[in-house]
Amino acid sequence: MKLFTYIFFLIFFTQSAISSSDREIEIYKNIRCLVCQGQSLNDSNSDFANDLKKIIKDKIDQNETDKQIYKYLVDRFGDWILFDPPVKITTIFLWIIPLLVLISGFYVLYKKVSFIKNRDD
Amino acid sequence: MKNQFKILILALVFFIFVLTFYFALGTNNKNNTQVMVSKKLPRIELTSLYEEEKKISFPKINFKNYYIINIWASWCVPCRDEHPFLMKLANENKVKIFGINYKDSKMNALTFLKELGNPFYEIGIDSNGQNSIELGAYGVPETYLIDNNGIIVLKHVGPINKDMYQKILDKIK
Repeated sequence: MKLFTYIFFLIFFTQSAISSSDREIEIYKNIRCLVCQGQSLNDSNSDFANDLKKIIKDKIDQNETDKQIYKYLVDRFGDWILFDPPVKITTIFLWIIPLLVLISGFYVLYKKVSFIKNRDD
Repeated sequence: MKNQFKILILALVFFIFVLTFYFALGTNNKNNTQVMVSKKLPRIELTSLYEEEKKISFPKINFKNYYIINIWASWCVPCRDEHPFLMKLANENKVKIFGINYKDSKMNALTFLKELGNPFYEIGIDSNGQNSIELGAYGVPETYLIDNNGIIVLKHVGPINKDMYQKILDKIK
């Protein structure tokens, strides 16, 4: 029984350690290194990137959510630090337009196919 | 009627496109270093460069005037360029300057000050750069002008030059 408990804790803690580091990397990939040329934190080894990585790691250890971490960074460095622009009133069309284009494309395709089908029938 | 509806939809989509690009092209989507301006200075606490037991904390409470926070390091070449401007501000007693010594060795920092003069009222050590990140700093040198309510009124990334020196004077007069 004791052996199972040890195994359980070993698996549990290894798992949580892995997921935490996966989460760190996911966040690093979404953050722009502001002093580098188009690199993410994950790709950069600059001083600035390493400092931010340390802060992000500390915040993850303090159980802060991704949203809280991104907010902390945006409050200090602006939206530019995020690779994905946040959904705001000023950026809403950036998110809507591709969707509109996609829907319109499907609509045109559907109309064309129906037209060809009707013609062939 | 059906055709009219189609044209209306197309016109609407086109209008949204034009509107989006019109506003998007007009906004600055590059890195904005002024994000912290008009915001309250985040709370930080540093160990004094001169006395290890002494803590220096920001924002300054009950400070009736503007003050400057300058992030510097002895290894930073542009810091040497801006130093005469800091000395000028300090010598003319225009504004109190607080230094944040960034990722530096104590000995090198003290030698730097001995060599070029010390314009700082107090100096705190940021040995790992974490406190500077808290202020929204990218590196060294960086300068913040803070008002008596603890609001950042001016932020400058890079060495202080003639223009920036004048801007600081204009703000504090």
